[in-house]
Amino acid sequence: MNAVLKNLLAYKNLGTILFDKHFEIIEADRLARNILGAIGPRFPDGNLLNVFPEFVGNEQLICRVLEKKASEFHLKYVNRFDSQGHTLFWDLLILPDERPERGILVVEDVTEQAKALQEINQQKYELFLYRHDPGFRKKFLSESILGKSKAIQQLRDAIHKLSKVPSATVLLLGETGTGKNLAARVIHYSSMPADAPFVHLNCAALPEHLFEAELFGYEKGAFTHAAASRPGLMEESHGGTIFLDEIGELPINVQAKLLTVLETKKFRRLGSNRPIELKTRIIAATNRSLPKDVQAKKFREDLFYRLNVVSLTMPPLRALGDDILTISDHFLNVFNVEFKKRVKGFAEDARKVLRNYHWPGNVRELSNCLERAMIFIEKDWITARDLVIFNPPTDHPPSTLPNGTFHPAVSSWKKLSGNF
Amino acid sequence: MLIKKKVCLLGAFAVGKSSLVERFVYDRFDEKYLTTIGVKVSQKILAPRRDSRSGQLRQYMFLIWDIASLDKFDHMVMNYYRGAAGALAIGDLPRPETFTGLEDLCAKFKSVSTDAEIVVLGNKLDIFQPHEETIRLLKKTAQRWSPDHLLTSAKTGHHVEKAFQLLATKIGNHS
Repeated sequence: MNAVLKNLLAYKNLGTILFDKHFEIIEADRLARNILGAIGPRFPDGNLLNVFPEFVGNEQLICRVLEKKASEFHLKYVNRFDSQGHTLFWDLLILPDERPERGILVVEDVTEQAKALQEINQQKYELFLYRHDPGFRKKFLSESILGKSKAIQQLRDAIHKLSKVPSATVLLLGETGTGKNLAARVIHYSSMPADAPFVHLNCAALPEHLFEAELFGYEKGAFTHAAASRPGLMEESHGGTIFLDEIGELPINVQAKLLTVLETKKFRRLGSNRPIELKTRIIAATNRSLPKDVQAKKFREDLFYRLNVVSLTMPPLRALGDDILTISDHFLNVFNVEFKKRVKGFAEDARKVLRNYHWPGNVRELSNCLERAMIFIEKDWITARDLVIFNPPTDHPPSTLPNGTFHPAVSSWKKLSGNF
Repeated sequence: MLIKKKVCLLGAFAVGKSSLVERFVYDRFDEKYLTTIGVKVSQKILAPRRDSRSGQLRQYMFLIWDIASLDKFDHMVMNYYRGAAGALAIGDLPRPETFTGLEDLCAKFKSVSTDAEIVVLGNKLDIFQPHEETIRLLKKTAQRWSPDHLLTSAKTGHHVEKAFQLLATKIGNHS
C-alpha cells in the first residue's frame, strides 16, 4: 500500500490489516489495533478467519479479490461487543493489495452511525407493532410506567385489572407531577382498540362559561355566537375515554350535569332536546382532597361517590426508593438523544442527591432538574454539583407512605369483581 | 473433525430472529425488543453426529448470521447471504403477513446460496392462538422451499434446539 493511500485511510480513521492468500495476518496498523482493541485487551494475531468469522463461507470470493478478479468484498454494520457488553458496529471492506496474493482489510468503526439508524428503526418498528399488535401495545404501555418498587408493581397490577373492564369509571388521585396523565393514557390504550379516541380536558384551563358548550357541544342558534352545530368533547370521546384532568376545578353547575351523564349514560347538546347515548370510559384526576372539597361544599358529594368507583392513588416520587434512579436513568437517555449528548450516567454523589431529596414536584420536578443539568453539562458524568435543586419549604416528609406500601385504593373494587 | 458452517436467519422485523439465537446459543431470553442493525454472528458447536452414509463422526460449528430485516435487496445483502450452508426462515405466528414476505426472502437467499438448505419456522408459539390461515401460509412457504417446518418459541425454548439440529441434519445429508 503506498504512503498516500495509507495517509488518506488514517486521515479518515480507517484501520488496515494486511493478509495473505491463506488468510494469515501479516500486519495491522495502529488504527486497526485500536478499533479491535475495544473487544479485547490484545490484538488477536493469527488467521483472519478466526478474528473475523464473518468471512467464513466467503473464502473463495475473497481469494478472487486478492487475484484482482473481483473488485472488493464488503460487509456493513458487523456487530461486535466490547468488554462491557456494549454493541460496536464495524464496516469491513476487503480490497486487493498492489502486491500479488495479498489483500487489505479496511476496518471502520461506524458505531455512532449505526446507533442513530438503530434508533430510527426501533421507533419505526415499535410504532408499527404498537398499531398492529395488541399484545405488543399492552406490554409497551405497561413498561412505560417505570420501576420495580412495590408501589409501582401494585399500580401496574391495578391498571392491568382495569384494562379488562373498559366501562369502569376511574378516579386518579395523587400529588402534582406523579404521573396521573400517563396512568390515564396507559389505562385507555391498554383497554381500548388502537383507534379509540382519548379526549383530554384540563378542567382548570377552561373558563367557566365555556364548560358546557365544550363538554356537551351545541346546536346552531343555541346561543348568540352558535352559528353552526358542534359536537362536544363528550361526543368526541364516544367509544373511547374522556380524561377529566383536575376535576376538582369543575364548576359546581357543570358538576350536576356531569353527574347526570354518569348516571344515565346520556346527554344533550346545548339547545337540543335529543338525548345522545354515550359509551365512554370516564377517567378523572385531581391532586386536591375531594372529601375536603365535599365538606366545604365546593364539590358535590353525589358526584364524588359516582367518580370514586375505582380510585388509584399515584405514589409520590419520594416513596419509590431506588425507582427514582431508574426514572432518572430513563430521563438521561431521553435528554442524551434530545440534546445530542453522550452523558454516561450519574456519579455516586449525584445518585445520593437524587435518592435522598424529597421531590415535592415529583416526576415533573425531577425531569426539569435533569433537563437543566443536561443542557449545561459538558462532562461524561453528572455530579451532585450539576443538579440544581430548588428546595422550597414543604409539608412533605422525606419518607415513604405511612405504612411503607402503596394502596391503589380499590374503593369499590368489590362492585366490579363480578364483571371480571 | 469440526466443520464450520454458515447459517442465516431470515425474516421480517420483530419475528424473533435474535431471540432464537439468544435461546439457542446462550439459553436466555429477553422480553425487550431491540431491533438488529446489520449482522450479528454467533457461534455454537453442535453435538457430534454420525454421518448416515460414511458412518464417520461429524461435528459442526454453526456460524449463525442474525441478519437485520432489510427493505431492499442489494449487493450488500447478497454478501450477507453468500456462502451459507443453510437458513432458518422465520415467520411470526401472531402476524400472518410475515409469512407472505418470507417466500420472497427465501427466493432471494437461494439465488445467492443455491445449494443451501432451508427450514421454515413459525415463532412465538407461546402467544399464538391457533389460526388456520397462518398455518396455511406457513405450510405454503415450507412446501416451496423445504418440506420441513416447525413451530417454535424463543421465550419457552420450545423446538429451538430441534430447529437448528434439523437444519444440521439437512446440511449433513446434502454435503
